Amino acid sequence: MVFILAVFAWAGWANWEYRRQAVERLLAHAGQGELVPAPAGDTMTYVSPLDGKPAPAFALENLSGSKVSLASYKGKAVMINFWATWCGPCKVETPWIVELRGKYAGQGFEVLGVDTEGDDLEPGDKAGWAKAQAAANKFASEEKIPYPVLLDGDSISREYGGLDDLPASFFVDKSGKVVSASVGLTSESDIEGNIKKALND
Amino acid sequence: MTRLKKRIQLAIIAVLAWVTAAHAQFISNSPHDSPIKAEAVQYLFPEQVSVPAGKPTPVTLHFRVAQGLHINSHTPSDEFLIATDFSIPDGMGVRLGTATYPDGKIISLAFDPSTRLSVYTGEFDIEARIIATPGNHLVQAKLHYQACDQNECLPPKTINVPIDVIGK
Repeated sequence: MVFILAVFAWAGWANWEYRRQAVERLLAHAGQGELVPAPAGDTMTYVSPLDGKPAPAFALENLSGSKVSLASYKGKAVMINFWATWCGPCKVETPWIVELRGKYAGQGFEVLGVDTEGDDLEPGDKAGWAKAQAAANKFASEEKIPYPVLLDGDSISREYGGLDDLPASFFVDKSGKVVSASVGLTSESDIEGNIKKALND
Repeated sequence: MTRLKKRIQLAIIAVLAWVTAAHAQFISNSPHDSPIKAEAVQYLFPEQVSVPAGKPTPVTLHFRVAQGLHINSHTPSDEFLIATDFSIPDGMGVRLGTATYPDGKIISLAFDPSTRLSVYTGEFDIEARIIATPGNHLVQAKLHYQACDQNECLPPKTINVPIDVIGK
């Protein structure tokens, strides 16, 4: 009898542990996108769980220390581009983004460059954060970035799917809805296609 | 009485079968199946070294970069890139004198053929000259790095490098 009770107790624990792990896995996947075959079937396209949903709100400081919110761009198509100075592919795509921003700004398009420099910095590491900000400043200046560069992108990374890989971009239409997203270096024409989608062109 | 015993035996067998099935399901959903990415860099060996106490001694540490990824060398080609760096925190009974890093492999990536990068791929070694106090020290040394593949980059990371150092 004792043996049976012990077995039941163990089974109960195993079942509880199984459910706990299932919940953990579910949470871990909650914000992550996936690669799916494109309609042509030849390449993989990134599909974000944010597609078709309102872009998560945020307000971050820009390089001058002023708060900039996504909400203040309602009515414009926005490309939210997460990058970091240590990210080579981000450096490659930046001139494309600068060029495309110039091309489509007149149609109500803006880019928000969100620096995720301090991913491994502790909140209290003042010297580390100052260094990260200086690096972002220098990068923005060297690349002649004309659009707002926002700092501390890591603080909103969870809402945007974790951002384990950079670069990552989200394209938001004029109503504030995410219409497309990309992770990793794509191409200038891919970015332009996503901008047109956001502009509903 | 015999019938009762048989019923109990059957009940035990049924419960054992159910428990076995539940256990199999539990195991198959264990964290080993997690899709979370493995570390970009793995420390291989040595797990234990014996060195003369108080005397700087070279120890070669072996690491492996996951296939398809590269990390910047200790002397990256661009000021914005994050160098691979080995360190030993204070208070572990073992001090790092100097660390000698291998030269980086010079590569260019398909997306930017004009830029040359100094990186480590596959296996690489760092020679650390360590000075240990007498005794047995479980050192949690650190390796700081930043990894990328052909199209994207992972955030900078610091991994533990556990070494059992015996100072004699």
